[in-house]
Amino acid sequence: MIRIKNLRKEYPNGLVALDNIDLRIQKNEFVYLVGSSGAGKSTLLNMIFRADYPTSGDIYIDNFSLSNLKPSQVPYLRRSIGVVFQDFKLLPRRTVYENVAFALRFLNYSRSRIRRKVSQVLELVGLHQKMHHLPSELSGGEQQRICIARAIVNNPPILLADEPTGSLDPDTSWEIMQLLSKINARQTTVVVATHNKGIVDDIRKRVVALDKGAIIRDQQLGAYDA
Amino acid sequence: MRYLSFFISEALIGMKRSGLMMFIAIVTITVSLIVFGFFLLLSSNMTNLADFISSRLEIRVFLTENVTRQDVEEFMSRVRSFEHVKSVSFVDRDTAWTQFKQNYSNIKLDDLVSNNPLPDTLKVVMTDNQHIQKTAEHIEQHTTYVSDVTYGGVIAQRMTAFAKWVKIGGLILVGFLTTATLFIIVNTIRLTIINRRDEVEIMSLVGATNAFISGPFMIEGLLMGSGSALLAVVFLRFSYSFFAHRFQEALPYFPLVFKSAILNEIYIFVLLLGALLGVLGAYISISRILKKVI
Repeated sequence: MIRIKNLRKEYPNGLVALDNIDLRIQKNEFVYLVGSSGAGKSTLLNMIFRADYPTSGDIYIDNFSLSNLKPSQVPYLRRSIGVVFQDFKLLPRRTVYENVAFALRFLNYSRSRIRRKVSQVLELVGLHQKMHHLPSELSGGEQQRICIARAIVNNPPILLADEPTGSLDPDTSWEIMQLLSKINARQTTVVVATHNKGIVDDIRKRVVALDKGAIIRDQQLGAYDA
Repeated sequence: MRYLSFFISEALIGMKRSGLMMFIAIVTITVSLIVFGFFLLLSSNMTNLADFISSRLEIRVFLTENVTRQDVEEFMSRVRSFEHVKSVSFVDRDTAWTQFKQNYSNIKLDDLVSNNPLPDTLKVVMTDNQHIQKTAEHIEQHTTYVSDVTYGGVIAQRMTAFAKWVKIGGLILVGFLTTATLFIIVNTIRLTIINRRDEVEIMSLVGATNAFISGPFMIEGLLMGSGSALLAVVFLRFSYSFFAHRFQEALPYFPLVFKSAILNEIYIFVLLLGALLGVLGAYISISRILKKVI
């Protein structure tokens, strides 16, 4: 599903964010990217949905090389990859419903279809009762759920989550991870970048550990630390 | 259609949010378009005036003293046969002198001049004033009959030249104004986009195409440009009608443009220009911002 080949990212100031990354993620897999801040987790996720470009190497999604992707094709790639951001990236002046429906506006869906899909996904993330609230009226965990709902509303085959529990308390973090597991069970490939040791140790999945931009461990049902 | 209603509602939301900025921009663009329209009206009137003066041109041919009435008749029929000559009429020196004295009745000419100093004259009216100078020169060559030739060519040429310079000056000014208006629109839209930069970024990250992201801003530009143009046209229409009628009352023979076809053409041009500048300004600013947002 996702094949990363000899990827390197070097910034103009000489800083190497990623080096020699080789990784293969199968369809419907759940993968943790772990490592300390600055290890290169977010940079790697950004490369996958083309929010950043590698210096060399390539990423293949379903055997399609991203280096061959024209700028005009990027939106279509992004529609097949849901992204959960650490800072949520919600529209503050739009309701929960509008924030989620936003991702469907450009898909030429009818209003009734948009309404149905948004309702279903808000039901899934447990925010159906709060669809007319503004994000600022909700807790951090609830805001993160809106972000997840928006990411999966058009059923993308891949979900990337960048520190989805970064600013949440342990109970809420646990709920969010349960939700991501549930989405994974619905045949979605999930890649989570995190440095939340408790979560990784409790919900055992494949762990890819990064340090200073390089993969130092790739382990099935692994723990946070080796 | 679905996209269009979304674009329009997003554009209206955007305009409402940046209300004060939008108001200032609309006022500024309206003023620019008014000045723009004013110059179009002025230029149109100058051209009209030049045409009017040209259409009234005639050649005055002063005859030599010793020509007989028969010579005059013969010469008149020869001039009539010239190309572009519409009519030739004879004004004898006594009639001319009486007319002259009537025109300058405030001066006691009989006390100053004992004899009639005017010669017999021919009045030549042209069909096409472009050839007036050549025809006058041609007539002047008949020295047996002709002592001197005058025509209003200098005035007409000056008027035409003046109208031309008004047009050129107007065009330069219009060029500046168009650039300035475009600059205002580009910056206003840019500010509203910067205001909503997060929105643009999020749209891009969740897979919206550039065309989809640009849509609401283009509609915003279109509404801003055409709204301003509409205000400018309403102002120009009423103020032109008001001042032109006042002016006409004071100078009844002054040939002002009142033809609604010409005026409507100018107003439609201002409207289209406003709309076009709005869309173009929005396109320039959104393209610049989208280049920066990945």
